[in-house]
Amino acid sequence: MPRSVALCCVLTVILSAPLRAAELQPVDQPIEQVIDYYVDAFIKADEVTTAPQANDATVLRRLTLDLAGRIPTSKETQDYVASESASKRVELVDRLLASPDFAFHHRNELEEILLPERRNDGEFRKYLLWAAEQNRRWDDMYRDMLTGNEEDEYQKAALQFVRTRIRDVDDLTNATSVAFFGVNVSCAKCHDHPLVEDWKQDHFYGLQSFLSRTYVTKKNVVLEKPFGEVKYTTREGVEKQAKFMFLTGANVQIASLELSGDDKKKLEEAIRKTQQDDNAPIPEQQGDSVRQKLVDVSLREGDNRFFAQNIANRIWQRMLGRGLVDPVDQIHSGNPASHPDLLQWLARDLVTHGYDLKRLIRGIAMSQTYSRTSEWTSAAETPSPEYFALATARPLNPRQYALSLLVASRNPSHWDQEAFQQADRWRQERENFENASNGWAGNFEAPTDGFQIAVDEALLFSNSDRIQNDLLRDSGDRLIGQIKAIEDDQTAISTAFLAINSRQPTDEESAAIREYLAARADKRPEALRQAIWALLTGPELRFNH
Amino acid sequence: MTRPGSYFCGSNDHGLSRRGFLGATAAGAATFAADTRLDGFKSQVLAEELKKQNKNVILLWLAGGASQFETFDPKPGRPTGGPFRAIPTSSTGVHISELMPKVAARMQHTAIIRSLYTKVTDHGGGATLMETGRRPAPGFSYPDIGAVVARELGRIDSQVPDYVSMYTSTEGRRKGTSGFLGARYSPMFLAENMVPENIRRLDAISDVDHHDRAALRDVLAKKFNQTHKSSTVASQTTAYQRVRGIMASEKLFDIEQEPEAMRQKYGPLQFGQQCLIARRLIEAGVPFVKVARAWWDSHGQNFETHRELCADLDQAMSALLDDLDERGLLKNTLVITLGEFGRTPNINASLGRDHFANAWSCSLSGCGIRGGVAYGKTDEDGHNVAEGQVQAGDLFATILSALGIDPESEYYLGSRPLPLADFGSKAVKEVLA
Repeated sequence: MPRSVALCCVLTVILSAPLRAAELQPVDQPIEQVIDYYVDAFIKADEVTTAPQANDATVLRRLTLDLAGRIPTSKETQDYVASESASKRVELVDRLLASPDFAFHHRNELEEILLPERRNDGEFRKYLLWAAEQNRRWDDMYRDMLTGNEEDEYQKAALQFVRTRIRDVDDLTNATSVAFFGVNVSCAKCHDHPLVEDWKQDHFYGLQSFLSRTYVTKKNVVLEKPFGEVKYTTREGVEKQAKFMFLTGANVQIASLELSGDDKKKLEEAIRKTQQDDNAPIPEQQGDSVRQKLVDVSLREGDNRFFAQNIANRIWQRMLGRGLVDPVDQIHSGNPASHPDLLQWLARDLVTHGYDLKRLIRGIAMSQTYSRTSEWTSAAETPSPEYFALATARPLNPRQYALSLLVASRNPSHWDQEAFQQADRWRQERENFENASNGWAGNFEAPTDGFQIAVDEALLFSNSDRIQNDLLRDSGDRLIGQIKAIEDDQTAISTAFLAINSRQPTDEESAAIREYLAARADKRPEALRQAIWALLTGPELRFNH
Repeated sequence: MTRPGSYFCGSNDHGLSRRGFLGATAAGAATFAADTRLDGFKSQVLAEELKKQNKNVILLWLAGGASQFETFDPKPGRPTGGPFRAIPTSSTGVHISELMPKVAARMQHTAIIRSLYTKVTDHGGGATLMETGRRPAPGFSYPDIGAVVARELGRIDSQVPDYVSMYTSTEGRRKGTSGFLGARYSPMFLAENMVPENIRRLDAISDVDHHDRAALRDVLAKKFNQTHKSSTVASQTTAYQRVRGIMASEKLFDIEQEPEAMRQKYGPLQFGQQCLIARRLIEAGVPFVKVARAWWDSHGQNFETHRELCADLDQAMSALLDDLDERGLLKNTLVITLGEFGRTPNINASLGRDHFANAWSCSLSGCGIRGGVAYGKTDEDGHNVAEGQVQAGDLFATILSALGIDPESEYYLGSRPLPLADFGSKAVKEVLA
């Protein structure tokens, strides 16, 4: 008995209503105000206790991790905390967004969304960095990735999105749907829902129709056949032919190519040759590109809500640790957004401002919602995460953690302060750091929903000679190298705290470390190294809080 | 404003809300829950009961695909049968290949399934199917049996590893995957050495300092952990607190600590030694140990290959069963022999057998198993299953049932319920005690 593993999707057609302009907050309102308006309204309606705003050092650290992908240097922390400028936060945000750091970090974050199962794909990362450095419109990036021109250096690299997945069209279908529309269509089996089940399959296979004509040649050129329809069998055993239908239910007319039986056979043979032979001539593209049709329909006014809401939701999740729709790949009517009006407003704002992701990131970064503390000290019940009444401690992703470890363990006086003032030098500095972080990042797992840190990570920090001989090296370029020269324990402790935890130690913390050092006065360098280890392995460095 | 509801059918049939669940298992991982058809409290109690019973699994993974004809489903005298005889076992009426005489003599502990029908015949796909009990679905990463058992039977603060995988051959090496269960349940993987990585203290630090340094870490982490209540934050300190215990388990990997006579029983080969390590590990409370033996992929010289590999398997497996039995561990330890598929009835021109997944065998011994049973039948020449077809999901369900884990209990992937054994799977009751 063949067990049915038919992919049945979890889609429902009655998706979030089309963007309702009239009832939303005005178009020209600053993003941060709109965010706070909607979030506060939900909090007030349910009388939820909120956490206060975080202090300067915490906000700086969070912003630097979210906008630059690393912790701040000691000097950055000192300068920010000491600054009395009333506009220091917006200055910081704008400085970071304009910095080379942002492009690198944005690239790393987009890679997690777009090609998570194939990290470190050099071609794709090259494309993403190029796109991030010019803040390329998200819709244009989408076009590059699905329908890019093989003749263009960067668009060709963008096509890795398709190229690396085309051997499994189910995978390509789902990956496209998850990354660009926030809809995971790959439900191995969903709840029985006899009334709508068939057209649910229609949606999955409808989406697949746009991708099933794609193939790659032996030389890895992404091409499309001018024919090919998707057929599938319903659970009742009825064979159906899928329509070219988008998730919204919109049907797309594809002009069918009139080919005689012989011509079709010839073409099929020519295509087969390109897949086997490096030198086979590439058949000319004929008729409509159905991938192009998918891009067109999904960006069309009235059908673009998945595309716009998905990226708004994912950027929100990146900055706040949880999507407005959570999980982020489950945008459908059965799983409404916690703040539907806010999501619609943000999506509309993206559409009307040319899918400018930097603009959205800036808006979120400037909101009061973003800068609440993550500490909960109140006797009241911890607010449920969908209120965004309390910041979430988010595990750093592997690159953020690797970069932060490198920043934290570096001798704080060894930063080239001038480089921070010059974009090209700063870019070079960042690139070096990024390369140095590669080896470290591979040791850490990418956070998932409900992430649990593995004992392997703790074993690595506890017993690997790489930690001992690299991060904890006592040479002049490392934090230890600087600290061992400081005679006063308290100054050494403060220096270490500032470098690693981006703040001053409390009296209790200082006392605990002083006591540890005092018990090992005969081997102070070793004792300092152990104290630094205790800070480097702590939760404050491991999490974005 | 809308409140987050359930995700799929618009109802709240799935019981616990996400929040409620997070509260109920704050110490556990968060996206997947125990069966929420029970109330949270009850399932916790059941889970704790299960963990107290110290049940374990040793999986002897026959990498490359062993021949059922030369192991558990001989067809002597048939054109497909090959040169070896079938011999009687300690269970009346059950015969196995003469290449496995010691296992035959201990058949009272073992149930054979002869009717596996799994269809997938490439090494990677077959291994994934048999390890996870289901076909892969794009966009999801399923945990393998080791990770599932580690999660269901391991203790969150365990001082020993909860999933150890030994795979020292280069052919077909697979690390094993915890899939959506996350890194907490990933195997400790031994590929290069007989001892895990980073388990030994560096000479550069004294034992006292190593201990005190970790204590200082915990002191400094305390305030953060107290003001940030989340299972993810807590998992980091839990991981560090497990380090010293895991380091102490280094001796478990040292078979020099076993008497010479015991080591001889398991045989001189690495596979036997690893089986002995497996016994030491489960005795210390490791819930799941996989020992892979490669490379059974006998496209040529099938009979010579099996003469050699079956002898090793026979010695190591029989020593393991005896050892576990004598220590009173067998009733709580399930020993599985399984590969990614079996081998063709037809013998090819190189005297080999090729990949075959339509009618093949595996064995289950010990915990929860009715010994001496041969379940399912293949036809005369072994081309097809004649009786009692068992698919990968059914085998997965059988393994879980033998351990007292309900195969129909569900994990939650975000919001989507996913039963531990694939949808529609049924445990083979006939092999369960």
